Amino acid sequence: MDEASSQNQLGGSANPAGVANRQNLEEPSQRIQYSIPGILHFIQHEWARFEMERSQWELERAELQAKIAFLNGERKGQENLKNDLVRRIKMLEYALKQERAKYHKLKYGTDLVQGDMNPPVEEGGEEGRVDPDAILSTNTNVSWKQSRHLLRQYLQEIGYTDTIIDLRSNRVRSLLGIDGGGNEENHNSTPAMNGSDTTKRQPDANRWNVTKKTPSCLEAQIQDAERAVIDNFEFLRSEGMEMDDDDDEEEPEEEEDVHRLKSPKVPKVALDVDDVDGESVDLDPDFRFLPDVEDTSPGVLGFGPGSRRVYGPGGEEDALEGLGELAQLTVTNEADATYDQISSTKENFRKTWTAKYTLRSHFDGVRALCFHPQEPTLITASEDATLKLWNLQKTVPAKKSASLDVEPVYTFRGHLGSVLCLAMSGDGDKCYSGGIDGTIRIWNIPSSNIDPYDSYDPCVVGGSLSGHTDAVWGLTYHGQRQHLLSCAADSTVRLWSTDARSPLLYTYAVEKDGIPTSVDFVYESSNQFVCSFNTANCVIFDLETGKPVTRLDTETEQGSSSISRQINRVVSHPTLPLTITGHEDRHIRFWDNNSGRLVQSMVAHLDSVTSLAVDPNGLYLLSGSHDCSIRLWQLDSKQCVQEITAHRKKFDESIFDVAFHPSKPFIASAGADALAKVFV
Amino acid sequence: MKMADQNVVLRRNRPGTKAENFYRWCDEAYEEMDSTLVVQQYIQQTIRLDHNNIDTILNAPETQDEGVWKYEHLRQFCMELNGLAVRLQGECQPSTCTQMTATEQWIFLCAAHKTPKECPAIDYTRHTLDGAACLLNSNKYFPSRVSIKESSVAKLGSVCRRVYRIFSHAYFHHRQIFDEFESETTLCRRFTVFVTKYNLMSRDNLIVPILEDESAGQGESEA
Repeated sequence: MDEASSQNQLGGSANPAGVANRQNLEEPSQRIQYSIPGILHFIQHEWARFEMERSQWELERAELQAKIAFLNGERKGQENLKNDLVRRIKMLEYALKQERAKYHKLKYGTDLVQGDMNPPVEEGGEEGRVDPDAILSTNTNVSWKQSRHLLRQYLQEIGYTDTIIDLRSNRVRSLLGIDGGGNEENHNSTPAMNGSDTTKRQPDANRWNVTKKTPSCLEAQIQDAERAVIDNFEFLRSEGMEMDDDDDEEEPEEEEDVHRLKSPKVPKVALDVDDVDGESVDLDPDFRFLPDVEDTSPGVLGFGPGSRRVYGPGGEEDALEGLGELAQLTVTNEADATYDQISSTKENFRKTWTAKYTLRSHFDGVRALCFHPQEPTLITASEDATLKLWNLQKTVPAKKSASLDVEPVYTFRGHLGSVLCLAMSGDGDKCYSGGIDGTIRIWNIPSSNIDPYDSYDPCVVGGSLSGHTDAVWGLTYHGQRQHLLSCAADSTVRLWSTDARSPLLYTYAVEKDGIPTSVDFVYESSNQFVCSFNTANCVIFDLETGKPVTRLDTETEQGSSSISRQINRVVSHPTLPLTITGHEDRHIRFWDNNSGRLVQSMVAHLDSVTSLAVDPNGLYLLSGSHDCSIRLWQLDSKQCVQEITAHRKKFDESIFDVAFHPSKPFIASAGADALAKVFV
Repeated sequence: MKMADQNVVLRRNRPGTKAENFYRWCDEAYEEMDSTLVVQQYIQQTIRLDHNNIDTILNAPETQDEGVWKYEHLRQFCMELNGLAVRLQGECQPSTCTQMTATEQWIFLCAAHKTPKECPAIDYTRHTLDGAACLLNSNKYFPSRVSIKESSVAKLGSVCRRVYRIFSHAYFHHRQIFDEFESETTLCRRFTVFVTKYNLMSRDNLIVPILEDESAGQGESEA
């Protein structure tokens, strides 16, 4: 009927009466006005809708699939983490058992009666279950121990001291609930095994316990994997918890023993945990509900949030931290394969120097620098023929970086040509500079608070010491004697007095040893100075007579090239009879003053060593090199404790001088890029 | 010093180098230089070759950024001008040269103070050089040596203007020192050519008649 009516309507759509009648009679059919275009349109419309919905479904499907994959991945990751943790737990359990046995033996003179004192290795047999998993786990336990031992050896080789290793293992232990629970016997392979032991005791304590019964594990193993895992996380609880472990032991007699064993350990463990991060404490609230519940469902609940917390601090943090320290090691040592020993810069008791001040004002490389004895001021000498006085308390407000810029307080003009070396008098009133023009100029240092743009005061120029006929390369001042020693490219070393009328006291002709490159007074003895040459000789002379006293035995150590034999710098230790030289062949060598023998030689840098400085206490050595780095060494162990990269290269030169402040914790470096940097 | 037995040339002035042996290494082509201080190295190298050859010194290599070129040259000028200041230090006393003048027309005020001050000539010289050192090295205006901020290029002009006055004072009041210095370094001539080439100063300010007739050297101030 509808069809018929639609046919009729096709022809004459305007048939109101008929339509109206039909409308009254058949409401539904009236609404459906069929026309071919209408039908087509309807079908098309529906089809489009279906298509849209289908594409939406496909989208959703793809999304959900991605989500599933992601969650799968996450789950796998969590699984792996959990496995690692459990393995660790087993190891610790075993260790604890051994400790307990030892302790018990010591305390009571008898062996502790524990179910199995054997390491996990033998558990497979004991259980009577030849379990491929068991074998696997025992193998992994043993191999894990071996590899751990190997790792420890490697770490020790690179200087990772035992304190760090122990610190970390203590942290691990404490994070995992300490001293194992001694639960290693029956956990052959699966965590389920492990946890099952505790599951067994869960009615009582839900804590780690020393396990005795083997067969019970078998059945428990099969029970609740999840509950077992949850129990595992109890171990990750912090200190006080496991102290009560053995209160509710199943085996009373052993329980007592173990309990007695445990309690004395309480203070020890508490100690271990003290230095652990606070996160382990935060685990408590999460797990508090776990012990109270027997069945699985709340346990499952706990698994969720608990696992998250646990994995965070427990697993990853340690791994990351371990990585972090190792990464730190590699970063600083990446190119230094030839180091004798490098130790991590993260050791707690060692200070790390950071760049604080940048001294910008010179136009050309800064060749030398020198701190004031007391004040936080320093003087720099540059190839732009000026010296500048800087006050570190007057910094320029710089928004950019962490390091502060300093502007000079005073500029000393007088040299014609590069200034090559610098020395400060003992009281900080005068300074002496030697330059390429062969003169040594004396400067009266103005107060460090003067206005940089003050009137010119000719009193600052204190005169000059002439005598050298070529570039003056080395200057050093002896505070007590008030003498100045200089060496120059004219192959002479001259001794000057600062207050006499004729300042030149002595000229030492040393040309048969080569051209002197650096001089220093020998502080440990009273009347000597040491001089290094560009021919790799290094000789200690007597001040009065000028005769060589000791010749440092440099012949055997040098390379073949004539240039590389040059010694760039020599410093004398303030208290020990030790001389330290920095060489063009990248080495730093230590010599005994009395015998002239080489004490130690080490490759210190990647390029020639240009400068050395010993700290006023004689404990540290600072060395600068053309490889753009300065390195801080501990003198007793000859280990590098810090490396700082500073300064850029101009031509092939990078760092010219380094210095310690005599009384304040500053070190400074002078570079060819016209900057001087101060580190605190 | 060259290391003959190895193929690597190390351009270093090691301790113990005699003054005459300084910088005695073979020149490096500009393209081969590989450091952040390339421009300074190149400029110093060309000056060492021949300080009279002003055009070579001032001609920038093609790929060189002009702002950096000007900046590094200005640094070099300030550095070398120090030599003139040192020579003046002995002779130019506050008692004799109480103001910074060149000819009678020009009196220069020192801009290194909060309010420009009439410093004696030697103070002016020192302050200007120190101020130029601070400005050219300041992290605020010239944070990098390989690229110059557009806003800082204008500062170069003012530094040039002030620095030029040192030349003019020396020329008109300490002629002998000026001539000695100029024969050693050709600095004033180079500076004049530099500022004209890069339009860092207006020509009215260039009052030292260095370009026309250096041999006669008659002081004739230009308007």
